[in-house]
Amino acid sequence: MERISSHQFVVLGSAVLMGTTFLPIASIVTEVAGRDGWMSVLPGFVVGIPYGLMVISLLEQYPRKNLLQISDIILGKWISKIIGVVYIFIMCYFGGLLLGQAGDIYQSSIMPLTPIGMFYLGGILLVFYLVKSGIEVFARFSEILFPLIIIALVLNIGLSIPRIEHGELLPILSEGIRPIIWAWLKVAPFAMEYILFLAGILTFLPTSKRELVQLKRGVWRTVFLVGFLNMLVVLIQILIFGPGETVRMVYGLLVLGKMVEISRTVAGVESVFLGAWLGALIIKAGAFFFTVTWGLETVFNLKGLKWNLGVGVIFMGIAFKFTRGPDLVMEIGLVDNYLILPFAAVWILTLWGISRWKGAGIS
Amino acid sequence: MKTERGKGHKFILRLTIIACLLFLTGCWGKKEVEDLAPLLGVGFDQGEQPGTFLVTEQFARPKKDSSSGAEIEDRTFSVEASSVREAFEKFSEVAYRTPFMGSLKVIIIGEDFAKSGDFNNILDFFQRYAEFRRSMYLVLAKGKAQDILNLKLRSGLLPAMAIKSNIEGGDEISVFPTVRLGHYLTILGTKSTAPIFPVVESVKSREGVEYKEDGKDEAGEIRIHGAGVMHGDYLADYLTDEEAKGYMWLENDVIHRLINTVDLNENSVKFGGQVLKANTKYRVKVNNDKMEIQYQIKTSIAIDEILGPQKQLSGLEWVELVKQAEKDFAKVIEKECESSIKKERELGLDFLGIGRHIEQKNSAYWKTIKDQWEAEIADFPISLEVKVTIHHSGMSSSSASNSGGEGQE
Repeated sequence: MERISSHQFVVLGSAVLMGTTFLPIASIVTEVAGRDGWMSVLPGFVVGIPYGLMVISLLEQYPRKNLLQISDIILGKWISKIIGVVYIFIMCYFGGLLLGQAGDIYQSSIMPLTPIGMFYLGGILLVFYLVKSGIEVFARFSEILFPLIIIALVLNIGLSIPRIEHGELLPILSEGIRPIIWAWLKVAPFAMEYILFLAGILTFLPTSKRELVQLKRGVWRTVFLVGFLNMLVVLIQILIFGPGETVRMVYGLLVLGKMVEISRTVAGVESVFLGAWLGALIIKAGAFFFTVTWGLETVFNLKGLKWNLGVGVIFMGIAFKFTRGPDLVMEIGLVDNYLILPFAAVWILTLWGISRWKGAGIS
Repeated sequence: MKTERGKGHKFILRLTIIACLLFLTGCWGKKEVEDLAPLLGVGFDQGEQPGTFLVTEQFARPKKDSSSGAEIEDRTFSVEASSVREAFEKFSEVAYRTPFMGSLKVIIIGEDFAKSGDFNNILDFFQRYAEFRRSMYLVLAKGKAQDILNLKLRSGLLPAMAIKSNIEGGDEISVFPTVRLGHYLTILGTKSTAPIFPVVESVKSREGVEYKEDGKDEAGEIRIHGAGVMHGDYLADYLTDEEAKGYMWLENDVIHRLINTVDLNENSVKFGGQVLKANTKYRVKVNNDKMEIQYQIKTSIAIDEILGPQKQLSGLEWVELVKQAEKDFAKVIEKECESSIKKERELGLDFLGIGRHIEQKNSAYWKTIKDQWEAEIADFPISLEVKVTIHHSGMSSSSASNSGGEGQE
């Protein structure tokens, strides 16, 4: 049985939680909370902490089992099967949409003439190879790539500072706290995507007491690191574009990358940033691919190359279904808000609550 | 079992490598750099047909006999079209190279076109199409944008590049605003602030400067002078040089400035100097039960030139003279700011962004006045406080004068 270390858990978790959240997040929160949108980002991600800790505590109670197997024990065979099917459906559908997003981002920003299928194919081949190599290789891949993603992000933010428009962040809280709460709800699904990945990866995590403490600490670190970085991303976009423009832009950070200029000589570095962020997309799509394969194995006992190929074909099919960019962006938002958020929020809370209740009853 | 797994890995690895070799050797539809025509400037003028506009595009063509390889020649076209894409289609029929938009430096809006409106529709292409960068500059043209782009400048520079260089060197004199596409779109988003653009104009000899003409009655120089204020899509009015300078102070856009007190009548001694540092802050406060905005301008100036005193100054006189200079420079700055504020009130357009300042400092109050803000501009209380500090008076304490020695009366 493959295992990943607690350090790898933090890095892989951060890479999955980060994914490409930094591309649409500014537009999403600013649309709801205006120039105060940045304040909702960190609290939105922090939702992931209690849920992450619930998942780890379930792992503590049921070592070496993923949440679908734990559901089987706690909720019974048929309910767990239904949950498993929903889980597989959501992860597969969202994974396909993420693959589609790779095509959308590249075609709309730097390679408009390349057939969109080439991005899907390139992406799925990488994802497929990672899945075939196993979770350890996937974790190591993230360990190498995640720092590069962060560096690209920090450089993009840092080099954009000269473009800041004076006073765009003011006034603060002019519309009160309510819009921030609404925007917070829009961020929470990002955290839940990570939680659903955790639900599947549990079987590969260490379960000794000391390492469980490290895993819990890892959840805190992951959420705060990614939440803080995303907050900076939103802040810099509001500071440079103003709230009106930030809302209008589909992928604001790409526009920002195009504006980076060093000493009026070096420009056009957005392709370098995009190269690193392709890695983020691959990790995220890979994570969802992994969870689908784990789900299939747990619920239907289906595993092996041919089923993986099948999942890859479905991913490609979903991506091809959404070659129209605006449809894709809308669909990702819908799946996040109306499938991932309620499903993860209810499922994990129920499992944890029942396991606590049963535990208390036994004692 | 292990061998089988290893074979599977190898198969996938080979498949990946083959796919990479096939598909990732270059971008689809790639163009060699020599097949591209870098676009430097675009101008928009009113078209002759209704619903059309005249688009002038200035491309760079690398000079064949250039020693450095970096010299470029002019390749400028104009076409009438009803959309920017249509214009590019027409250019492509003529040009043998593919236009590359990522190098665009400046968009010039002709005077008639700016007055007729529809300007924001045109800009949509530039903010939407991925090749463009929001860091390009926007300027208004006195006259036609086409004429500006077709100028043969004495410097040998293409007009688009000359405008870019003038703007980028503008920090030294800070007399006109710098407007990039990104900044303009941000200002549009504020709704209460009227956008403003610097104005570019051609300069013939004896139009402010004199130079040796090449025989034809054509301008050989261009300059950026003053600014234009937009009302929505329309050019509402121009700001004079003094009004534009006032705008620069009030917007905290002065980096360095060359400034003089020659136009002040109160004092016989005139000063010229350079602004070393400037900072403008504003406060929104209640004064006599009315809300007002107070600007506080602090600046450091070095005196470079004194006209008038023809005698050797004592130490005390020198100190007094410097104090006088501080007062005089402050008066000049106040005058510039007041003329800008006066223009804002006359036009009823908030190009100074006062509404945004009020919103930033007192959003509750702003909500009560924002709907009638254009009417409020005319008499909204604005006060000014200018503080000038003279850092030094150059390399001498007194001006050179006849010492009254031999040969003197």
